Formats: sequence, C-alpha cells, structure tokens
Amino acid sequence: MRIEPAVPAEILAAVRAPFAEMGASAIDPPIAQPLGLILDLSGEAMRERLILVQADGGGEAALRPDFTIPAARLHIESGRTGGRYFYEGKAFRAAPKGREAYEEFLQIGIEAFETGAAPEADAEIAALAWHAAAAGGRTDLTMELGDVGLFAAFVDTLKLADPLAARIKRSFSSPRRLWAMLAKAEEPVGSDAPRPAGDRLSSLLAGLPETEATAVLQDLWALAGIEPAGGRSAAEIVHRLAERSAVARAPQLTREQASLITRFLAISDAPTAALEAVARLAAPGGPKLAAALKGWERRLHVMIDEGAPAAAMRLSTAFGRDFGYYDGMLFEVRSAALGDHRPVAAGGRYDSLFSRLGASLARGAVGCMVRPGRAWREGAQ
Amino acid sequence: MTDPLILALPSKGRQKEQTEAWLADCGLPVRAVGGERGYAAKLDGLADIEVRLISAGEIAGALFAGEVHLGATGEDLLHELAHDLSDRVLLMQALGFGHADLVVAAPKSWIDVETMADVDEVAHLFLARTGRRLRVATKYLTQTRAFFARHGVTDYRIVESGGATEGAPAAGAAELITDITTTGATLSANGLKVLSDGLILSSQFQLAASLTADWNDVRRDAAGRLLRILEARARARRTATLTWPQSGDEAARAAVSELIAAGAKARPFGVLVENGAIFAATAALAEAGVGPVTVENPTYVFEPASEAMEGLARRLDRRN
Repeated sequence: MRIEPAVPAEILAAVRAPFAEMGASAIDPPIAQPLGLILDLSGEAMRERLILVQADGGGEAALRPDFTIPAARLHIESGRTGGRYFYEGKAFRAAPKGREAYEEFLQIGIEAFETGAAPEADAEIAALAWHAAAAGGRTDLTMELGDVGLFAAFVDTLKLADPLAARIKRSFSSPRRLWAMLAKAEEPVGSDAPRPAGDRLSSLLAGLPETEATAVLQDLWALAGIEPAGGRSAAEIVHRLAERSAVARAPQLTREQASLITRFLAISDAPTAALEAVARLAAPGGPKLAAALKGWERRLHVMIDEGAPAAAMRLSTAFGRDFGYYDGMLFEVRSAALGDHRPVAAGGRYDSLFSRLGASLARGAVGCMVRPGRAWREGAQ
Repeated sequence: MTDPLILALPSKGRQKEQTEAWLADCGLPVRAVGGERGYAAKLDGLADIEVRLISAGEIAGALFAGEVHLGATGEDLLHELAHDLSDRVLLMQALGFGHADLVVAAPKSWIDVETMADVDEVAHLFLARTGRRLRVATKYLTQTRAFFARHGVTDYRIVESGGATEGAPAAGAAELITDITTTGATLSANGLKVLSDGLILSSQFQLAASLTADWNDVRRDAAGRLLRILEARARARRTATLTWPQSGDEAARAAVSELIAAGAKARPFGVLVENGAIFAATAALAEAGVGPVTVENPTYVFEPASEAMEGLARRLDRRN
C-alpha cells in the first residue's frame, strides 16, 4: 500500500485552522466500515477503489474510503437531531488501475447535519473548503461547481408529458441512457426497432387499469408456474409497463427540446454567466428553476462574502452527474499542477443520505473534505 | 532435465478426459508419472515437456503468474483474472470443448425486463424506491463489472456467490445473477431467463501461453515442437486430400485452378482442400470428366513454419 508522506505540522495547522470557527464537535469514527453499506450507497464502481478486510468468520468490511458515511452513521447512533462534526484522519483508497496514487492518505473535513437555509449552508461549507485548500500555499487553485438538482428544474420548464419528463430526469446520472433518448428525438417517427417477443403481453397489460393489470399478471405467474422473485412486486412491474406505454403514446421529445437539453448540459462558465445562460435557455415560468437560480444567486453572494474568489469559480451544469450520493450543490477545488482527477478539496449536499441509511428523520446534510497532502504546495500528489 | 517446459492440464473430471482425448488424438497420449494418482505426467515422444496436472482454475492462475508456460483451461476462468489479459496470457488455440456461456439472467416474473437497458432503468427505479441497489449474485466479479460498465449500468452491486448462484434470487439474496450456463436448463428451473443482450462471454477451453513465464531458447524449442504437432493435427482435421487418376491430371488441374488460386494446395495427381470445398471440387472434377476421385482426411498436415509458435515468439520478443 502506498502511503502519503507526512505533511509538515505547520501546513497541517494552517489547513485545519479554518475548521476551528465552524463550531463542530470532533469525531473519530471506526476505520473499518461494513462493505455492503458502502456499496449500496456508493455503487459497484466504488468496489475497485476499496481496500477490504475480513476477520475470520466476520462480515466483509472496507477501510473507510472517506468520512461521510462513517460520520452519518455515528450521527444516527447518537440520536441527536442536528449536529456538526469535524474529523481528521486517514482514509484509504486503492489506486485506480494504471495510475499511481497514495492509497492511505490524510483527510480533514466537516459534515453539517442540520435543517436550515440550504444556500447559506452550502456557501459556508464551500468557502471553508476553499480557504482550507488554499492554506497549503498553492496559487493555482480553481473551484468547479455543479448542482444535481438544476437539471430536473430545467427539464420541468420544457413542459413534457409526465412519464417522459420523469424518464429524462432519471437519466441525468446515466449519460449513455440520456444520449440514447436525445438521439431518438432526431429520428423520424416509426423508426423504432421491433419490440422483442412477449411484448404483446406487455402492451395488453399496459392497456388495463393498473390494479386490474396487477391481478392479471399475478394470475399469469400462477398459470405459468413462475415464482415471483427478485424484490419487485407485480404492481411495480405493471406500473413500469404502463409508464413505458404512456411514454410511447405521448408526444415524443421534439428536436428543439432535445437540442435545449444538449445545450443546457454544455453550459460551463463563470457562475454568473452560466446562470444567465441557463435562464436564457429556459422558457419563462418555471417556478422550480426560478427558485434554483435564486438560490444560486444567494449561494454565490455568500461564498464571495466569505472570501472565496469569484474569478476562480466555474459552474458546469453536467458536473457531478455520476457522483454517488450527492443530490444538490457540489464542488471540487482543483490545482492546475495536480490535474482534474486529483482534487485538493471536494464536497456538496446529500440530503437523501439519511433516508437511504434507514434513518426516519429527514435532515439536511452538507459537507466537505480537504486533503492536506495535496493542499501542501511541496506535496507530490 | 534442467529447463523443462511446463504444460498444465486439468487434473480431474470431464475436462481432464476431454483434454487427454484431444492430445491422444494429436498422437500425444498423456502418461502419468509415478502411478495413476500422480500429478506429474509426460507426453509420448516429447521428453523435454513436463506435464503438471492441476485444476482448471489453478491453471488460469498459474498462467497468469508465469508459473507454467502453457496450459489448457477455460476462457471464462482466464478472463476472470484480469479485465485485460493481453499482456499476460496469449490464447493460442480454441480446443472445441468445454463450451459454456457466461450470461446475465433475470427473474422470469420480470416480464418488463428483456435487455440490459431495461436492467439499467429498473436498477435506477429500485434504488429510488428502496434506497438499495439491485444486487447481482455472481462468481465472476471482474467480467460482470466490466460488462455492466460497458452497458452503462451503475445502480447495482455485486454479491459474491460461493455456491449455487442460480438460487440467489429465489432465496432473496440477490435480484439478478450472472453465471455460466450450457443449455440454460438450470437457470430456467430456477425461474430465471437470460437477457436478450446478456451474453457476457461465449467460452470454451483454450490452449494458452503465459507471457510472464521464464521462456529461454530451450523452452521455446520444446514449445515449438509441441505446437507444430498440435497445429498439424488441427489443420489435418480441417482439410481433405482429393486424388485423381494420372490420366486425367491436366483436365483436373484446370478444373480446380480457382480453388488453388484461393489457397488449396496442389499435390501430385491431387489437391489438398478445406473440408468445406470438397463437394465444389468434386463437382468441378466430374464436369471435367475426371474420375474416379477419392477423398481422404490426412492424419497431419505439417507446414514448414508454425504460425502459433511465430505468434508466441513475436509477443515474447516484444516483451523484452
């Protein structure tokens, strides 16, 4: 395992200093975390980055790849409603194939679990990440900003049929699926490939009211001697068939709409210019988008107030589309010398994490981490 | 023998029988050294090759690690060791047995799921509804991960399966599986269906060479002798010799001239053709009034150069 060299104490103190003003309590979560939980939350693509450990007869565990899930688990166990947590410790990630990287490295960060005005909290955390990252002496830093929620708000302004809008929003995290849908808008009507066998049954079921179709499907399973397996109910399957058929019958995505989506996803500019571009592209009267844009105005205002330099920021609408559990604003602080795939600091909002961890309390969650070894100007990676 | 070439062959079951039958057919019967239960053997007539009998899974690992020079094992087992094999193992010859397909299978009750694109969407919906990812039970982690990535499916996770993978969905341990199947009957009996685009790998036994092993000139010579025989036998099985009477030679040569231009080899009063061209040739000869024409399969067809050995030598030289 390649271990990151120690960062000099004065650099470490400088990176740590901005965190002291956040009013967070220090935590020291377990290094070994349940593997299943991490994979459920972060996805299979994470597996090759995990370093696994297993005691004789015990369940498989992973050395913590970051502190977000460990901190959220500690918080749930504490039973508290809100809380801000500070951590400083080693995290572990296997080097990606064909790339040299430290596999054991230091992270300093904060997780804020609280309800409240999201844009202000987002901005506070992003500005904190900026200051901590810059404390290591690098002068080539930039901040990449994104917002996972902005896409859905933009799609709403296109006034598409509900099932189609839902499918497109869902595709944000899967570029391939989205491009396939956009490409279809370019094709003349009726050029669909013939549906596979068994589709007659699907269209039949899709034509019935859903409760009736559910009963028919259950009868069919019984007739065919099929034991339903795999955690999906008849109602769920029928609902998807109905939705698919509704999408097929409803007006399709027009070329103009597809082109608007493509142009939206290409926006990457200084934040104010990027937000203006989004507003120009969208038809007026999208209340969600208007609220999202207003939120961003507020966010940027607070960030700049807190000393993050506007000139170093870039907002990209497609940034973060395939990043695990973030569901709102997200950001990375990058160094030109280190390159885009070695961010000095990163963070964002992930409000849905708690419900996914099975906690009944819905809470806001936003956090960031800094890698002192990367923030340190003389550090290699 | 100080520098033996090590050839690894399966040590048990049907794989052992089929591999030994293939070698015997090539004129190289495998003789166990030190009794029937021994794990070392020799090939008749090739004294400088040491045969090691180990399991097919271990053969793949040994080729990968460079512990053996040549080995016969399943393609599926080799591909499981690394996403990209090409700098460690060279596949030399498909052996025509040990066929098995690695496939993605979903519950039959999912009548709305036929393709990987459906899996992608269902996985996303499943995650949104339950907060959990669709679980895929498998013993083939590397290939499953690569295949799902190729299809852009991200909202899933793998559950490593130790034993009967096909039972995982019914047992509630997973929603989907990927597994080896030959007829699909076991999958079907467990309420599963193969996705229409769910074929990950169509596998069979392969003779493979390790590119990480220590190859000196002595071992290369030994490998060359073995490969030439295997190749000559494989070539013989693909071809047939047509022979005609001396009296019709001129007319016969004219009748098969197109075949010769296309690669068939002229013989004295005859021609060596691919099996697929036999009847085209006999028809042309009949039309030219040549007969009787006899057709025989040769036992071996040796060429001066061994393509397999030259290919291996090129890869080994590039390595240095």
